[in-house]
Amino acid sequence: METRSVPAVLESLAEIRRFVKDAAGRARIEDSRTYQLQLAVDEIATNIILYGYKDAGEGAVISIGAERTGDALVITLKDQSPPFDPRTMQMPEALDIAMPLEERKVGGLGIYLAFQGVDRFEYRHEEGSNLNIFEVRSGHD
Amino acid sequence: MGFDISVTQGSDEATVKLSGELDAAAAPKLKETVEKVAGAKPKRLVFDVSALEFMASAGLRVLIFAKQKMGAGVSLYVIGSKGPVLNTLTMSGFHHSVILQDTYKPLE
Repeated sequence: METRSVPAVLESLAEIRRFVKDAAGRARIEDSRTYQLQLAVDEIATNIILYGYKDAGEGAVISIGAERTGDALVITLKDQSPPFDPRTMQMPEALDIAMPLEERKVGGLGIYLAFQGVDRFEYRHEEGSNLNIFEVRSGHD
Repeated sequence: MGFDISVTQGSDEATVKLSGELDAAAAPKLKETVEKVAGAKPKRLVFDVSALEFMASAGLRVLIFAKQKMGAGVSLYVIGSKGPVLNTLTMSGFHHSVILQDTYKPLE
């Protein structure tokens, strides 16, 4: 597994997306699915930085890992902010999606996009770390 | 890659051209621009996204902010969206509330 650690700041998002893109390229994931995966990882990383590590001082990090298993690419975000399972977050429903923008609630959109963009999303809390796990398979679009 | 904004102020509309990657780090800069542009009270607000290569939900939230700031009477146009950026807009239902066009043609 290839891993990298980045400071938990918004300025690291570009590097996180680049890491995902490089890993997806090596795993021969199609361009459109690579973009969706980048978006999914970006959205969850943004939440970790803005909310998970809200009260953390300098030195907070996110590590990102990439692993290939068969025709799948698995990206893992690992952080030490308080336990938070994104799957418990309320997402916009069909009704909200069809609402005019001026009446919209703004929460949950990022998580919604994250879950839509991957074949499998998993969350675990292990040994004091949040693990957000994203999986995409190559060979279908 | 980064993120760039350029603004053209017309008599009836303001055009905001976006290029690069619009993520949560870049969104505050766009929000600031929208606030400035809204002050001139244009009839239409046009976002040209033809050179936008990435857009996260933070970008969508600025569009919501723009709509709420300008009020329902001001039309929001999103011009030149394609591929994944267009996909994100439609997946989030934004095609119901903004006018999506390939090139800008004012409707009224």
